[in-house]
Amino acid sequence: MADKTVTVKATRYDPQHDEKPRFQSYEIPFYDESMVVLDALNYIKSHVDGSLSYRWSCRMGICGSCGMMVNGVPKLTCNAFLRDYWPRPVVVEPLNNFPIIRDLVIDMDDFMHKLKAIKPWIIRKQEIPIGAREHRQTNEQIDDFRQFSQCINCMLCYAACPVYGLNNEFLGPAATALARRYNLDSRDEGLKIRLPVVAESEGIWECSFVGECSVVCPKGVDPAKAIQQTKLDTTLRFVLPYGNRE
Amino acid sequence: MPAGWWTRNRHYVNYMLREFSSVPMALWMLWLLVEIQRAGGPPSQYRPHGSPAFIAFSVIVLLFSLYHSVTFLSLAGTILHFKVFDRPVPSRLIVLAMFGMWLVASVVVAFVLVWFAR
Repeated sequence: MADKTVTVKATRYDPQHDEKPRFQSYEIPFYDESMVVLDALNYIKSHVDGSLSYRWSCRMGICGSCGMMVNGVPKLTCNAFLRDYWPRPVVVEPLNNFPIIRDLVIDMDDFMHKLKAIKPWIIRKQEIPIGAREHRQTNEQIDDFRQFSQCINCMLCYAACPVYGLNNEFLGPAATALARRYNLDSRDEGLKIRLPVVAESEGIWECSFVGECSVVCPKGVDPAKAIQQTKLDTTLRFVLPYGNRE
Repeated sequence: MPAGWWTRNRHYVNYMLREFSSVPMALWMLWLLVEIQRAGGPPSQYRPHGSPAFIAFSVIVLLFSLYHSVTFLSLAGTILHFKVFDRPVPSRLIVLAMFGMWLVASVVVAFVLVWFAR
């Protein structure tokens, strides 16, 4: 087992020296069937080439930091097993549709601005003083938004979305899914504050329902569903009498 | 984005096929408008266009429209969401209802066409 190896081709890019990104191949030992792509990158970083740059943190599919393109598919590298690719080479690239800062590290500023714009927190018209009473919810009320609250902001959905690739003004899948998560929350009263961002032309209406965002989501969130249902809801708000109510 | 982005995986290809299917359907509908205009004259002068090429094109359009309808109706379960007796209606039931309504509408249209063609 110890002499089994796997080839990892990683994108290398140093903006101070390289005109454009290039690939570098590494042959590393594949000593454990439970090895994931992130383990391979960590092996390269520790034993072969300390200059390789990439993001990671929790190593358990929770933090959403280690998203990269693995053989052309957006994946959390902590959740992409080498055994699923071996003996083929594993090609690791930075997430599609984002500017590259260095090697496998993308510039996520655009996503962070979008995330902030939809105000992903509970908005109350009047805050209940701490200790006064509870914000109670039934299981059914939680079920309304539960799946959208699983988003870990890994941005795989943005890398899979050709609409975002063609027009990065598009609000995008994760931000819309999170907006819907809060708009469906019975404790929230911020719908009218979020609507100007979500319902504008570069918001939900830019989406042409490719659906790949939902396919690649590692947490089972269905952002395509969030976007289409928001389209329907905002249309009904517009056409129905008293549709614009809170 | 490179022009060939949609060849990267099967889902993208299916999506492009779904979107493209509207084009031949639109062309066929334009032809239908021309036929309606031609049929406006005396019945004795009207001869429906029936060349083998047009029939072949119509069959292709039929296949595209079936593909478009099936994919469109299959997505209805994702788009529509409502509750009955405070419980969300399952997506599968919504899709099934859509296909049921499609079948009923097709039977009604076929009945009307056959009725007028007699």
